[in-house]
Amino acid sequence: MEHQRCYIYSPTEPEERARKRQRTSKPHFQAQLPERLQTFRDMWSHQEERIQETLEDADSSTQEAIANFVSASSQDTEDLSLAIPTALIILGPSIASHGPFFERLGRRIKHDTNNIYVVLTSGESPNLKTLLKNLIKKVTSRVDDDDDDDEMRRPLATSRNGPKLLDFDLGHLQEWQKRNRAQNIVLAIQDSNAFDASVLIELVDLLHSWLDRLPFVLLVGIATSAENLEDRLAGKTLRYLQGQKFDVTQPDEIIEKLFSATVARPDARLRIGPNISQRILKRQRDHVQNVQDFVDALKYAYMSHFYANQMSIFLKDGISFEDLSSDDVEVARTLPSFRSRVEQLLDESRVQEVRKLLDDDYHTFRVLTEAIASGQNALSSLNAAATILSRVRQALQMSPEVMCSTIWTRAAAGEIIGSPFLRETMLLVRRVPSDKFAQLLNALEHSEGDFVIDPRPYKQELEQLLEQNPDSTPLRTQHDVRNDSVRTTVVAQKVLLSKHKAALSKQDKAYSELVGRFHDEMECFFSSAFINPQTLLLSEVLIYDLKSPHTEVFQPKPRYAIERALALPHDYLGCDCCSGVAGKGEGSALSGTQPASAILYQMYLESGALINVSDLWSAFHAIAGEGEEEEDGESKTMQRGLAELKYLGLVKPSRKKTDHIAKTMWKGL
Amino acid sequence: MLPDEVLLQLNRDFPCRESQIHQLAALYSQTLPSPSLLVAHGLTATAKSTLVRAFLARSSLPHAIVNCRECITGRHLLEHTVAACLATVEAYYDETLDKRPFARTDSLSMLAVNLGKLLDGRDKFVLVLDGVDRLREPMPTLMSALGRFGEVIPNLALVLVTTLPVRNLHHPGTPHLHFLPYSRADLLEILGQKPPPIFLTPPSAEQYSDYTPELAAEDDAWLWNRFLGAVWDSLSKHTGRDLISFRNTATRLWRPFVEPVISGQFGTRDFSRLMVNRRHLFQLEDSVLDRIMPAAPTSTNFILSKPTTAPGKPLPLTKKKTLAYDLPYYTTVLLIAAYLASYNPPRTDVTYFMKHTDKRKNRRHRTASTKTATSATAVTKTKSRKIPRHLLTPSPFPLDRLLAVFRSLVDGRVPQVADVGTQIATLTSLRLLTRVGAQGSGAGDVLEAGARWRVSFGWEYARSLGRVVDIEVGEYLVGGVD
Repeated sequence: MEHQRCYIYSPTEPEERARKRQRTSKPHFQAQLPERLQTFRDMWSHQEERIQETLEDADSSTQEAIANFVSASSQDTEDLSLAIPTALIILGPSIASHGPFFERLGRRIKHDTNNIYVVLTSGESPNLKTLLKNLIKKVTSRVDDDDDDDEMRRPLATSRNGPKLLDFDLGHLQEWQKRNRAQNIVLAIQDSNAFDASVLIELVDLLHSWLDRLPFVLLVGIATSAENLEDRLAGKTLRYLQGQKFDVTQPDEIIEKLFSATVARPDARLRIGPNISQRILKRQRDHVQNVQDFVDALKYAYMSHFYANQMSIFLKDGISFEDLSSDDVEVARTLPSFRSRVEQLLDESRVQEVRKLLDDDYHTFRVLTEAIASGQNALSSLNAAATILSRVRQALQMSPEVMCSTIWTRAAAGEIIGSPFLRETMLLVRRVPSDKFAQLLNALEHSEGDFVIDPRPYKQELEQLLEQNPDSTPLRTQHDVRNDSVRTTVVAQKVLLSKHKAALSKQDKAYSELVGRFHDEMECFFSSAFINPQTLLLSEVLIYDLKSPHTEVFQPKPRYAIERALALPHDYLGCDCCSGVAGKGEGSALSGTQPASAILYQMYLESGALINVSDLWSAFHAIAGEGEEEEDGESKTMQRGLAELKYLGLVKPSRKKTDHIAKTMWKGL
Repeated sequence: MLPDEVLLQLNRDFPCRESQIHQLAALYSQTLPSPSLLVAHGLTATAKSTLVRAFLARSSLPHAIVNCRECITGRHLLEHTVAACLATVEAYYDETLDKRPFARTDSLSMLAVNLGKLLDGRDKFVLVLDGVDRLREPMPTLMSALGRFGEVIPNLALVLVTTLPVRNLHHPGTPHLHFLPYSRADLLEILGQKPPPIFLTPPSAEQYSDYTPELAAEDDAWLWNRFLGAVWDSLSKHTGRDLISFRNTATRLWRPFVEPVISGQFGTRDFSRLMVNRRHLFQLEDSVLDRIMPAAPTSTNFILSKPTTAPGKPLPLTKKKTLAYDLPYYTTVLLIAAYLASYNPPRTDVTYFMKHTDKRKNRRHRTASTKTATSATAVTKTKSRKIPRHLLTPSPFPLDRLLAVFRSLVDGRVPQVADVGTQIATLTSLRLLTRVGAQGSGAGDVLEAGARWRVSFGWEYARSLGRVVDIEVGEYLVGGVD
């Protein structure tokens, strides 16, 4: 393989190129693109606002606590114990969200008090010297934007007359501090896990020795756990630090909140379908826990809908018939939901209407816009029902704790109606005792206006009942198991079991009636709200639920793609010469017409960890060779194939045996 | 010699250091010549630097102190030294010097020249290099050069404060001042000077009208001294014998120790009963460990309530929470796979991870082997004293092996998505996995095929991870654990 360094490769030219066919008409793929883009931007800006709000809301309490910690630490600097006040912030393993968190925290801390806030990342601090340089640069340059009295500072710089401070000397900071009198110098170590432990130890040591002159506060972002950090630091270093631990909201909770703020929000005009939302959530649970990724996936779904689906123009606010091109209505008529509507009308033998729908564009347009409005209403009541169902379960503390997002996805897939899940919940509602019923009503009251049943009258009635209740035991409904008793009677040596309702008190009766009304109303609401969204007219426009764009973009399979391309080249080439062989089965897929690297790869798959190149060559020759005279060209193609495999990282030269190469990758991993 | 009252005051501030104070006073007096070099050495927390600083501050000698902890490089130390000496000379003689000749000090010889220039024609000048043996990136000739400085600059008196006596000084006859570690009596005397109060808020005046502050202070001192002795004998004698560790341990234990006194269960002088009641404090090692966070109040509550309530409820819960934080499912399995790949030799992979082998067979085989090992201890002792695998350093493994182990651990198929690669990269940046032997292209592709990896966490963590995803890691580990 090594004896000839390079070859001149001359590919055989095909005799005749296929003639190019001219395109005769202009395609209309991008009809009304600007309008759709505008609609997308409108909707997405709303969503983005909600996302930002949710994120800020999620960690505002932690940030508040940290800011308090920072300002509190400045007050007791006189303390003789002299340890650097340290906040250990447990941020969880999603490192991508650490940066935004510290950014928000910085805004907060700078806003609150006269503090200087500096973020250090592991990337810019490979060693102590660089770290200090960066630190000094960040602290001192921050002042430059604040005040411009350069001539004031000039004489203070000792550079001209006397020993110069080296650029990593914290003396710079001391000088700066003399002028600015910052309350605290807050150092945020963004990703402490990625720092070299030795750098951290030295940094702490240094900061501690300067602590009597510079008021440092450390904020340490930790992805794993505080114990992990303590294990990595030396015992002496731990003595220099004294602090508190702060937990940030767990990413799964944030995702849940984001989900209800974006996907499951009442007024969303475009819904994300159950398939794709399930996929996004599953990916969050299994692979990455990352808020940013969730947002990206959502945005991509919105983009794909508006960029690629011409029908999405119907989602535009206040759309008029003039906005549409002539094609649009025609295209809408081909939609599956439209067809099924037409078939339904035909079944009801309303032929006139069908005729009108098919012929009269304007009429169809009106029907469609109405369908959009009613569909959105139906979807938002579905959404409300799912939210309420999860609230009810939460308020009743039902045992398998099901996330709101899970209920939502099931509802959106139309699986909730008549499911045991719903039935079980409703049964429990029916026999709820009065103390829990009050909780339930409270929980429903706090949920905004998305609930059609007003819980307040029920609450008033309940309060009246409770006032009349003589003892403190909660009221029970007639369906409560405690009101059942089993009576045994022996008749002719046979035991008869009969269930009897215990006699209900007056209050209990009234209470049962109240709960019964509530239950009926709720059941009525659920059965009207939980529909199968796929049956809605224009559900293709209202709901985006395409799986493959999402998987292709967010969960690509690079390794699988390469392996497949090499092992089954026909899948990609689609040529006639290879297809005949591939059809017979995978074992006999080798043929001389395949690319050299593909042939080599298939032989590679069959070999062990070390491959004899000479054997490989003879095997290759047997498959690809046609005659003695072409041996030189064959050896070139084989070498090229091997070089390609090497380039892909599949083989590497081995020193264990002469004339052998080592296999480094296995298929299917 | 310093005036006697200064010596007295020093002796009061630094108890048990009389001999060192006297030696310092003898060596560095205003009138008598001082040695050109003194090495003051002693273990940590033996008042080396503090005493030298306090002594020089009270003597009227011109002196500069350079804290080597603050110097990043050797060059930094040199610059720092010259700057400190300049500042001292200016302040002491109250004059303004022309600093331009001292602008650069980039080598040891420059330092000698600069110091010589600065001190030329002046009186004795003391320069203290504090912690010079802890200097980061020192110059190789630093120590021997410092040893010879006195020959070049006659009026410079150099003091090196180090932990151990300096070896490579190459200058015989250098006086050394040893700061002995404090003995038990010394420690008790030093710490006994400032007893912390038993009652943070004094007991109500109307109820105990005769309990005056003086009486309280007496009680504090009495109990504190006995308590110190108990802490030393039970804990600090064996671990953390220096003053600071001892003090930290004692202060950590003090509040829980006096709690029954505050609650009124015991009187202030019931030391022996208090000891018996609080004996569990001296049996745990929590108090001798240094932590960033002060010990959580819940755990101390647990310890306190241990004798009365049923034990074992809150503590394991908190422990579990801190060990196993939420990682995504596949990430957790990947970490376990990495642990197994690191600790199992590759040739055993077939036995442990092949899907079609019967796992029960393996287990039985292993338990049988351990049983024989325990029954015939004499044989195994002579044969080999094997260290359990999980106590050894992890060995590196290639990426494909990790993925293969990962796939055999997970039930069902895992699609070959790029997310798996992302997770490995993330774990690497969290330093849970470390990449070893990346030749040349260290910053290049993280998932390069030739790279090898190693885990950087221990058995405890791997086991707790396994519990999260229902994988008993011990079953897959060669040799077993426990």
